[in-house]
Amino acid sequence: MGEEGTKGTVHLLCLAASSGVPLFCRSSRGGAPARQQLPFSVIGSLNGVHMFGQNLEVQLRSARTEDTTVVWKSFHDSITLIVLSSEEGTSELRLERLLQMVFGAMVLLVGLEELTNIRNVERLKKELRASYRLIDSFLGDSELIGDLTQCVDCVVPPEGSLLQEALSGFAEAAGTAFGSLVVSGRVVAATESWWRLGTPEAVLLPWLVGSLPPQAARDYPVYLPHGSPTVPHRLLTLTLLPGLELCLLCGPRPPLSQLDPQLLDRWWQPVLDPLRACVPLGPRALPAGFPLHMDILGLLLLHLELKRCLFTVEPSADQEPSPEHRRRLLRAFYTLVTASHFPPEPGSPEEKVEDAAQRSQVPRACYLVSGPEEPGTGWRLVALQSGPRRLLLLSAQSPTHALRGLATHTLHALTPLL
Amino acid sequence: MMASPISCSSRHSPDELPGDPSSQEDEDCDYEDRVSYSGSYSSASSDYDEVEPEWLDSVQKNGELFYLELSEDEEESLLPETPTVNHVRFSENEIIIEEDDYKEGKKYEPKLKRFTKILKTKSLLPKRYNKKNRNDNELVSILKHQSNQKTGVVVQQRYKDVNVYVNPKKLTVTKAKEQLKLLEVLVGIIHQSKWSWKKSGKQGSGERLVVHGLLPGGSAMKSGQILIGDVLLAVNDVDVTSENIERVLSCIPGPMQVKLTFENTYAVKKETTQPRQKKAQSNTNDLVKLLWGEEVEGIQQNILNTPHIVMYLTLQLDSETSKEEQEILYHCPVSDASQKLKSVRGIFLTLCDMLENVTGTQVTSSSLLLNGKQIHVAYWKESDKLLLIGLPAEDAFCQVENVPRLDHFFSLFFQRALQPAKLHSSASPSARQYDASSAVLLDGLPGVRWLTLPQEIKMELDTALSDLEAADFAELSEDYYDMRRLYTILGSSLFYKGYLICSHLPKDDLIDIAVYCRHYGLLPLAAKQRIGQLVIWREVFPRHHLQPSADSNTEVFREPEGRYFLLIVGLKYYMLCVLLEAGGCASKAVGNPGPDCIYVDQVKTTLHQLEGIDCHINERLTSSPSPCLSCADWFLTGSHEKLDNLTTSPILSRLPGTSKVATSPTCRRILFGDYSLKTRKPSPSRSSGGSDNGCEGGEGVGLSPHAIPNAVWKQRESQGSDGSEESGALLKVTKKKATLPNPFHLGNLKKDLSEKELEIYNTMKLTSGPENTLFHYVALETVQGIFITPTHEEVAQLSGSIHPQLIKNFHQCCLSIRAVFQQTLVEEKKKALNRGDHSGSTNSISSLNPVKEYGVLFECSPEKWTDQRKAPPVMAYWVVGRLFLHPKLQELYVCFHDSVTEIAIEMAFKLFFGLTL
Repeated sequence: MGEEGTKGTVHLLCLAASSGVPLFCRSSRGGAPARQQLPFSVIGSLNGVHMFGQNLEVQLRSARTEDTTVVWKSFHDSITLIVLSSEEGTSELRLERLLQMVFGAMVLLVGLEELTNIRNVERLKKELRASYRLIDSFLGDSELIGDLTQCVDCVVPPEGSLLQEALSGFAEAAGTAFGSLVVSGRVVAATESWWRLGTPEAVLLPWLVGSLPPQAARDYPVYLPHGSPTVPHRLLTLTLLPGLELCLLCGPRPPLSQLDPQLLDRWWQPVLDPLRACVPLGPRALPAGFPLHMDILGLLLLHLELKRCLFTVEPSADQEPSPEHRRRLLRAFYTLVTASHFPPEPGSPEEKVEDAAQRSQVPRACYLVSGPEEPGTGWRLVALQSGPRRLLLLSAQSPTHALRGLATHTLHALTPLL
Repeated sequence: MMASPISCSSRHSPDELPGDPSSQEDEDCDYEDRVSYSGSYSSASSDYDEVEPEWLDSVQKNGELFYLELSEDEEESLLPETPTVNHVRFSENEIIIEEDDYKEGKKYEPKLKRFTKILKTKSLLPKRYNKKNRNDNELVSILKHQSNQKTGVVVQQRYKDVNVYVNPKKLTVTKAKEQLKLLEVLVGIIHQSKWSWKKSGKQGSGERLVVHGLLPGGSAMKSGQILIGDVLLAVNDVDVTSENIERVLSCIPGPMQVKLTFENTYAVKKETTQPRQKKAQSNTNDLVKLLWGEEVEGIQQNILNTPHIVMYLTLQLDSETSKEEQEILYHCPVSDASQKLKSVRGIFLTLCDMLENVTGTQVTSSSLLLNGKQIHVAYWKESDKLLLIGLPAEDAFCQVENVPRLDHFFSLFFQRALQPAKLHSSASPSARQYDASSAVLLDGLPGVRWLTLPQEIKMELDTALSDLEAADFAELSEDYYDMRRLYTILGSSLFYKGYLICSHLPKDDLIDIAVYCRHYGLLPLAAKQRIGQLVIWREVFPRHHLQPSADSNTEVFREPEGRYFLLIVGLKYYMLCVLLEAGGCASKAVGNPGPDCIYVDQVKTTLHQLEGIDCHINERLTSSPSPCLSCADWFLTGSHEKLDNLTTSPILSRLPGTSKVATSPTCRRILFGDYSLKTRKPSPSRSSGGSDNGCEGGEGVGLSPHAIPNAVWKQRESQGSDGSEESGALLKVTKKKATLPNPFHLGNLKKDLSEKELEIYNTMKLTSGPENTLFHYVALETVQGIFITPTHEEVAQLSGSIHPQLIKNFHQCCLSIRAVFQQTLVEEKKKALNRGDHSGSTNSISSLNPVKEYGVLFECSPEKWTDQRKAPPVMAYWVVGRLFLHPKLQELYVCFHDSVTEIAIEMAFKLFFGLTL
C-alpha cells in the first residue's frame, strides 16, 4: 500500500445489508479522492462483525484504534454504511453525520424505494454511480461545513431584500414555491418554502448544485430524503452568472423550456448589480466591508433553529494559517464542543431529549488555546452559545481573557444577519 | 443482632467438642475477637520479638497476606446500639468469659474472617445461625426469621436456599473411598478437602463445605443457583460440614427435593486455587459495604442488571481442542445482562485482529448498543491475550469522556501485573460505579492524592521514612547476623486518612501502589475508620522495574532478575507502603516467602513513632482550606438577561497574561468600548461584599436553600443603587473592596483563627481580586505522580445545594478536557519520536493539537425554584484546564466564579509552587 500506510485516509463502504454485497467503496486521502481501496476480505469482516452483532441483538456502533475510527450504521435494514477514517482528529460525531449525509445523498439521487427493496444489485450499483460525485465531496475537503453542522451554508448578500423579492416573484411566475439562489454551494436567498425543506435535503440540494459540473441549465430528478423519499421531484437549475445558479424545485410542471430568457430577463435584469456582487461572495460569506475585528481569522455562526450557518475563513486571508488549515481547525473545534459540551442541535437524530432537560449546568462558552508554550504563538478558538445562535471564532492573537469579549461583540454584530 | 448470642451459646452445646478450634465459625466469635484483639495488639506492639505476630497464621501458601483488623473503638462503634433483651446481653458476657479459655485454640482461627465479623456486628450481614444442636432448631429458625425481616434483601443475597432434586436410587453402587463422594455424585457439588499443608488437626473435622466445582449435568448445576465458592451450610435445615455431610446425605431415602442452604462466597478464603481472587472480591464488597452501608445491596442488584463485563481472552486458539468458550481465560460477572456481552465476544476478537491488520494500530475501544443502552468496551492487548472491559455509558458521560477513562483505567491495571490486573478489574467495575463523582476524574489521574503539610511536619515524616529505608536497625544490619539481608527497601510512602503525605518512591511505583490501595478500598477505609492493624504482603510486579522486553512475544511475562514485594502496614489512620526488593544486593528470594516479621515490625515501629504527628496532620485537615474555597451557593443571584450577563462578565477584563504582548491597541479599544456601553451591574459576590452582609450570607447557607437566594436578592436590592452609582467604575469597586478581608470566611474564621493565621490564609488565596471566587481545583504533578485537590473535609465545610452539583460537573468537564490534553500528549510523544523528519507537520494541521488551555463557561441555577414571579438566579462559573509541558508535565484544573479575572498560569504558579514531595 501507500508509503505512509493508511494515514489520513477515509474509506467509505456501502453494502447491501442482507446479502453483504458491496455496492460501492469510496476512498479519499488527505482530502482528495483516492483510488486505494480496502481488500475485499477486510470489507467482508467489517460487515461481518456488524452483522454478527445484529443477529445477537447487539448493535455495533463504532470502534477505535489509536489512530483510526470505524463507524457502522445501517439504514432501513437494507443498506449498511461503514466508514473507516484515519484522519487526524476525526470523531465519531463527524463520521456518524457523514454517514447520514451519504445515505441522504443516495436517497436523493436513487430514491428510497430502490435502496430498501433491492431487486437487482447490479442495477443499483450502476444507479448509485450517479451519487459518487456528491459523496466524494463529503469525503474530501470542502469549503462548506453543512455536512458536519447539518445546517445550510449561507452567504449574506449586500442587498438581500432585492434578491429575495426577485426570487419570490420569479418562482411564482414559474409556478413553484421552492426557489433559491446558490453561489458555489451556498444559499444566497431562498423562498420561504425552500427554507422549510427538511434537514438532509436542505443541505444536500445546494451541495449537489455546487458539486455538479457547470452547465447553463439542468433538469435533474431528485428524491427528497425527508420530504418525499419515494416520489421524485425535478430540480431545475439556471446559471444566471458564472458560479451563481438559480434553483427551482418542482413537480412535472413547468418544463425547463418554459423558463425562457424573457422570463429570466424580466425578473433578474433589474437586480443584475446585486447579483454580480454575490458572485465573489461565496467563500467570504459576509458582505464586503462588514466590520469584523482584525484578529478574527475565521468564524462559524450557526442558527440552530433556522438550521442555517455562516462559515468563512476569509478574514485576514494573508495571515498565517492557510484557509484550509483554518477550516480544519474550526471543523475540529466545532466537533469537539458539540460532542463534549454543547447539546447537539435540536432535531438532530443523536439528540437525547432527557439529556438536555436534566442538565442544570448549562455550558455557555468555551475557549481553547492551542500551540506551543511560547506566548503569542498558536491559535485560540472560542465558542459562544446564546439563545439559538452559536458562534465559533478562530483567532491568532487575542489574549485568552479577551476571547469571550471578542466573541460576544462579534455575535452582537452578526445577529441581524442570521 | 439479637440472635447472635444465642447462636453462640448454642455453639457450646454439649454435642460439640469445646476447644476444637476448627469448629469455630466466624459468626460466633465477635466477642472473643475483640478481646483477643486487645490482647494480641498490645503484645504485638510492645514485645513483638517474643510473641508471634497475630497475622502470622493468615499468611497463605504463596506467601501472600491480607490481614485487616479494625481498631477496638471502631469495632465498638460498629456494634449497633439497638439494645437487645437483657438476658441476651447476659449470655453475651458469658461467652466472652468462655471464649477467653479458648485462647490457645484461637491461634488456628482464620484471622481473615474478622473483617466479615465486623461487618456482621454492624448487621450489614445477616447472621447465619449454625445450629449445632438440632434441638434448637425451632428457636433458631424463629430468630432467623426475625433477622430476615430486619435485613430484607440482604438475606436473600447472602444466604440462599436452593431446592435440588436428588435421586439416590440412581446411584450405581460404588465404594466411596473418597471423601464427600455422595455430595459429588448425588448433588453434583465438588468439594475438595483442605490442603495438606494446613495444620493437621484442622483437616476433616467440621470444615466448611465450599463448592469448589459443579459436576456437569449434576442437579446442582441444573439448578443454576449454586455458584462456585458458595458454602453449603445445611441440607434440609440440618447443618452440615465436611465431617457429617456424607452421613446426612446417606440418610436420604429416595428421590426427593432437598433444600440446600448456602452462604455466598465469604469467610472461606483459604483455598489456594484462586484465593486472591475470591478474597479480593469479597473484600471489596465488604469495604464497599462498610463505606456505603445497607444501600449497597440494592445497588449491587442494580449493577447485576446493567450489562458490564470483564473478559480476558486469548487470541491463540488451539484448533485441535474445540472446546466451547475455550478462548475465555477469565470472565466476570455471571449475570444475564453480561451474558449477552459474552456471547458477542467474537466481535471483539475479530475487531481486534482485523483492525490491527488494516490500520497497524491496536484497538482501544468500541461502542455498541444493547437493549437501547450504549455500552463502551475498552480493549487492552498484550501479545496474544486480550483484556476487555465493557461498561454502560451512563447518561452523565458522553462517549468522549468515557473512553479515555476506560483506557487509562486499563493500562494502569494491566501493566501492573497480569494476575492482579485480572482480579482488580473484576472487582472494580462495580465498585467504580458507586464512586463519588470526583472519583470519575481522580481515579484516572496518574497521581496520588497528596496533602500539603507544613514544612516541619514534612521534615519529621521524611526523617522517619528515611530512617526506615536506611534499614540499619540492629536486626536488619548485615553485621548483626552476618548474612545478606533479605530485602532492600526501595522506598516507602506514607498515607494518612487516604492522603499521601510523604513518599520516597519513584513515581511509577508510587502510582502502582496507590492504585493497588485504591482498588482494594484501603484508602477510603483508612480515611473513615481507624484501622487497628493492617498487614498486607504480596509479591508485586511493578511495571517500572519490569519493562518487558519487546522481542519476547511468546512469553507474556519475563521473569525478572530481582523480585519485588509490597508490604503495607496500617495503623490507625496511617498506612505505610514499603516496596522491597529481593535479589540485587539483597539475597535472592526463594519460593513464595511470606512477610518477614522484622520488616513488618520495623515498619510498625515507624508508624508508632509518627503517632505524635497525628494531631498536627489532623489540624491541617480540619483547618480552613488552603487555598481557600468558596461555595457556589454564595454566588447565586437573580438572573439578568442572558446576553447582558455574558457581556458584562469580566472574563474579558482578565488581566493580560501570557500573551499580553499580542494585544493590539485597537483590540483593546473595541473591547472597552463595548464595555462602557453596558451598565455594569455589580457582580453577585460584590453585592454581598459588605463585611456584615457577607457574614450573613455565609452563615445562611447552611439553613435552607431558599433562604440564600432571597437573602442575596435583598442584599442585591439594598446594594443595587450603590452598584449603579458605581456602574462602569469597575476599578473603583475593586479598590474599595480590596481593603476588606474575604467576607465569606469571616464567619468561620472568627472562631479559631488568629490574626496571623488569617494572613497566611489570605496569602494562600488562589484567585485574584478582593473576593475568593475559587470553587474547586485539581492540580496534577505527573513527574512526582501526585495531585492536590481540596480534602474531603474542606469540601464538606462548604455545604450547599448547588455546590455538589458544581463539583460533579467540574469533574466531568475536567475529564473531557483531559481527554483533549491526552491527545496533545500523544502528539508530543510522536513528535519527539520522529523529530527530524517533518512528515508529521502536514498531518497536524487537521487537528487542534497541541492544546494547552481549555476553558468552559457554565451557567447554573438552583434546581428547585418555587418563586414563579422571578426567574431563577443564575450563577456562571468557569472550568479551566491548563496543560504545562515545560519544564515538567503538569495539569491544572480550576473552577471559579465568572466574576474574577483569572489567568490559569498564575493560579498554577501559586498552586504548584513548593509542591515537592
